Amino acid sequence: MFRKFRKKSPWILHYNAGSCNGCDIEILACLSPKYDLERFGVINTGNPKQSDIFLVTGPVTFRSRERLVELYTQMPEPKVVVAVGSCTCTGGVFRDMYNVEDGIDRYIPVDVYVPGCAASPELIIDGVVKALEVLEKKTKAMEKPRKLFSEATTKEGIVDRRECAQKVGEADAKDTE
Amino acid sequence: MIEILLILLAPVAGGLLYGFERVVRARMQNRQGPPLLQPFYDMMKLIDKQTLIVNPTHALLGVMHFVALWAVVAFTIMGGNLLYIVFLHLLASLFLVLAAFSVKSIFSHLGANRELLSMIAYEPILVMFAVAFYMLNGSFSIDAVRANPSALGSLLFLFLAFLFVVQLKLKKSPFDAAKAHQEIVGGAEVEFSGLFFEFVYMALWLEYVFVYLLLMLFAGDNILLGGILFCVVFLLVNLVDNATARVRMEHLIKIFLGIAVSLAALNLLGLAYV
Repeated sequence: MFRKFRKKSPWILHYNAGSCNGCDIEILACLSPKYDLERFGVINTGNPKQSDIFLVTGPVTFRSRERLVELYTQMPEPKVVVAVGSCTCTGGVFRDMYNVEDGIDRYIPVDVYVPGCAASPELIIDGVVKALEVLEKKTKAMEKPRKLFSEATTKEGIVDRRECAQKVGEADAKDTE
Repeated sequence: MIEILLILLAPVAGGLLYGFERVVRARMQNRQGPPLLQPFYDMMKLIDKQTLIVNPTHALLGVMHFVALWAVVAFTIMGGNLLYIVFLHLLASLFLVLAAFSVKSIFSHLGANRELLSMIAYEPILVMFAVAFYMLNGSFSIDAVRANPSALGSLLFLFLAFLFVVQLKLKKSPFDAAKAHQEIVGGAEVEFSGLFFEFVYMALWLEYVFVYLLLMLFAGDNILLGGILFCVVFLLVNLVDNATARVRMEHLIKIFLGIAVSLAALNLLGLAYV
């Protein structure tokens, strides 16, 4: 009965995993009067224990990966992860560099990928709204990082993890109650 | 009978007031705000979250904070002794501080410290508020205050000092250093999640009801003046919130103990000797 209220009050945790701050600025712009996210009831809480949506930017640097996983585990279920920006999805311009892990989906399960460098506010709002649809279908059981446990395909010598991800909106058979 | 109904509906009224305030703040910032019932949507969502209990003391004290604050609002509506109400309110705030100290989190302790510091700042003013009404009416009873005509004229400085307290209790700029959203993560309520955060969230709504009920005591038996005071202070508080930045904790204490307490004390001296 309470499920339909999940998407009426999404609280955001915004974390920068080593990004250049471009996507961070766009996220903060979403919360400003021009692209107002608060009309969906979105609050930017700084507190993982009180948020539902984990907005991450940045290709994961060495020091931020522990914090990334810790923050993710401190969020109570149900939760969704939105990867904002190309760096967060696949590594972006920094792919294959020595100092970054290419994207957050090597560490935590991601639900929505928002591309762009920097992702535009309209696209981020689109991503958040899609994340809410995914959130509604989730159970309160702990997430299995589906992506990490499935096979990655290799195309021309480059490991491609995108194709084995669950598509947005496609609910796993075990996820729906 | 109607008082019991008002007491039971106090959290609902507080929630509607809080929701309306978010819309007012949003409109002041030239944007559309959340829907009016947003606090209740938040409440339903928080009930549906997985509740991570840090330890049972923490959770229980959080619930006690809410229950004690509801008791304070109940006594205010039923017309109790104003001094007792001020001290019971202090106890309700102390429950939250104790809850925050009962976990081993640095952020929680930081928030609790700041809550205690802000109590040092505003409690003298609330006590002087009660004393001023005693000096005017000969009794601490709220019924006596509500039966007499409005004392706003002779309590003007106290009213100004009380506005400072309103700004702090409602956790608004420039005096929201105790919560300092995003600077110290969350203040005293940082380790609450799910259902128990809902209790602390509802306690904030009751805080709104309590503060505005105290505000309307300045109007005595004049309901129209009470309504006007409420509307004016509501808009003023939101305007100041939107227009100012947060002051640091030490400055908050200096401003309160320097300006607001002096104003209130001046008013008391005036009532005694003039």
